[in-house]
Amino acid sequence: MTTTIVVAGKGGTGKTTISALLIQLLSQKGVVLAIDADPATNLNLALGVQVEESVGKIREDMSEAVSKGILSPSISKQEYLDSKIMAALVESKGFDLLAVGRPEGPGCYCAANNMLRLSIDKLGKNYAYVVIDSEAGLEHISRQTTRDVDFLVIVSDLTQRGVKTAGEIKRLIREMRTQVGRICLVINRTSGDIPVEINNLIEQIGFEQLIAIGQDPNLSDLEVRGVPATQLPDGSPLRAGIAELARGIGG
Amino acid sequence: MVDMADFHVDIGPQYEGEVVRKEDMHVEFGGPKAKAKFELVTLKSMDEVEHEKVEIIGPDIKDMAEGSTSSIALLVDIAGEELEKDMEPVIERRFHMYMNNIEGIYHMNQRNDIWIRLNKESFKKGLNSLKEVGDMLIFLYTSELMAIEKISITFVTDEAKVQELLADAMKIYAARDERLKGLKEEDVEEFYGCVLCQSFAPTHVCVVTPERIANCGAINWFDGRAAYKLDPEGPIFGVEKGECVDEVRGEYTGVNQNSMERSLGEFDQVYLHSAFEHPHTSCGCFQSICFYIPEVDAFGIVHRDFSGPTVIGESFTRMAGTTSGGRQVEGSLGMALEYLRSPKFIQGDGGMYRIVWMPKEVKERYQECIPADLFDKIATEDDVTNADELTAFLEKVGHPWVKGEVELP
Repeated sequence: MTTTIVVAGKGGTGKTTISALLIQLLSQKGVVLAIDADPATNLNLALGVQVEESVGKIREDMSEAVSKGILSPSISKQEYLDSKIMAALVESKGFDLLAVGRPEGPGCYCAANNMLRLSIDKLGKNYAYVVIDSEAGLEHISRQTTRDVDFLVIVSDLTQRGVKTAGEIKRLIREMRTQVGRICLVINRTSGDIPVEINNLIEQIGFEQLIAIGQDPNLSDLEVRGVPATQLPDGSPLRAGIAELARGIGG
Repeated sequence: MVDMADFHVDIGPQYEGEVVRKEDMHVEFGGPKAKAKFELVTLKSMDEVEHEKVEIIGPDIKDMAEGSTSSIALLVDIAGEELEKDMEPVIERRFHMYMNNIEGIYHMNQRNDIWIRLNKESFKKGLNSLKEVGDMLIFLYTSELMAIEKISITFVTDEAKVQELLADAMKIYAARDERLKGLKEEDVEEFYGCVLCQSFAPTHVCVVTPERIANCGAINWFDGRAAYKLDPEGPIFGVEKGECVDEVRGEYTGVNQNSMERSLGEFDQVYLHSAFEHPHTSCGCFQSICFYIPEVDAFGIVHRDFSGPTVIGESFTRMAGTTSGGRQVEGSLGMALEYLRSPKFIQGDGGMYRIVWMPKEVKERYQECIPADLFDKIATEDDVTNADELTAFLEKVGHPWVKGEVELP
């Protein structure tokens, strides 16, 4: 059985760092398929690996091959995509990474996206965990990646706007015909207790689990030196928060 | 005689879909890192095949470094009274299934794109020679396909030799593709339907035949067949062809029935190859529009990338608005550009000889499917800008439709 986890949230909340640390922790329990579905961030850098090919590029290459009539009629586009996705996987210790990459241009992508979703769904079945670092709009969840999500982790900063965005994401995923298990809110970079104004809003929206992670003093040094977040020292507040999150996931 | 008990690893459908990750891999053959790779089945006469022979040219698994990538050619020769040349690709495709049925072996793709991995566990169990892989393949082929009376397998791992053999294999693949491109509606029993676009166009039902690609240009008949097999409950499904009612316009009882059911009773009659009376519905995703030009009683083609006004003064975007939405719009047909290559392209209306205008880019890209005697007689945006100029142009060049030389079937 594969457990699918989506990490979403407003930009600048530390979502990608949290995704990377979660992938690192889960990969000690079972093999993880990491999907970078936010073109604005670089999950690969947080994980310390290089990406050479993205799903977006594969899709563009296929439509170019189709328009030039150079795809063999005997090879279905589904098989073509399956193989290109396998070749695009960044295979690392304990996890494989797939980058979704750039968004679509004009024209029709219904068929291509449907085929991509089948490919990625099929691929995901080989892993203990699938962790998707998603953009706030959840575009790729409906279009290209799996429909069913076991855990939705929404990351927010200690602001009304961040928590309201979290509420929007929660509403959005319910609207998308996606089956969702537990929804967990992570408030990142807290200092002390969560203020009452924010706490009231959190209770009003309602989440199944709430995790508060304090400002991590070790992170900014890593960021300045360009070192992957996965090299954060043991005992960092972020690591403790991620461990709590992983326990909720059952990892 | 090959016996399953002699093998070091298990064989069975439970191993299908098993992926070998790099960390678990002992060696790989082919794939993105290998210089040359291919697999090929060749039908030979009975006396040319030495039954159950497995030959290895180049290093074997046990000679290879852990984690290494090698070039590979997988050559299977078969013989049998009932076998036919056309069966070669079908039998070759079985490689994929059989290889994946072997415990710890993972096989991707086909032809000159193959990618095979062997995991560490199966290697440790004793699967350390291609000879045994060959024996297993022979076992699977002969126990499942009775028509194969004799079979031999050669593995070539010597890179230079693989490259040399690949050149000939490429010619064989190209010849097979040419045959497939000639597949006709008459040759198949089943078409495919697609309702992916129903979220935008609720009554649109795309019909995909060997001679009609989906409007978006993304799904041909082979894709439809593969998608339906992979996900039978999905948005792409089989359509029983039924009886052919009108051979010229492309009307089939099965297609009519399907359109009625899938369009929620909106349409019960569809001509697959005519823009008049009951044309195929148009979603919103079509790559181009085949539009009627009343002044000359003929058609023009415009595609999505053409931003300017067409010969009738309207742009693609404007026409798309009135064509789309999943309706049957007479004289306005949303279609894939690749449909221009179909021998049945609007054959009910006179086919390519009824086309009088198209953007220069399309005309150049599809030059090979426009009859040579017609090519210079189709106007582009460089020749004319309105219907009056078009009429004069067609008369000057003597377009066969305007001269009355084209007979409707």
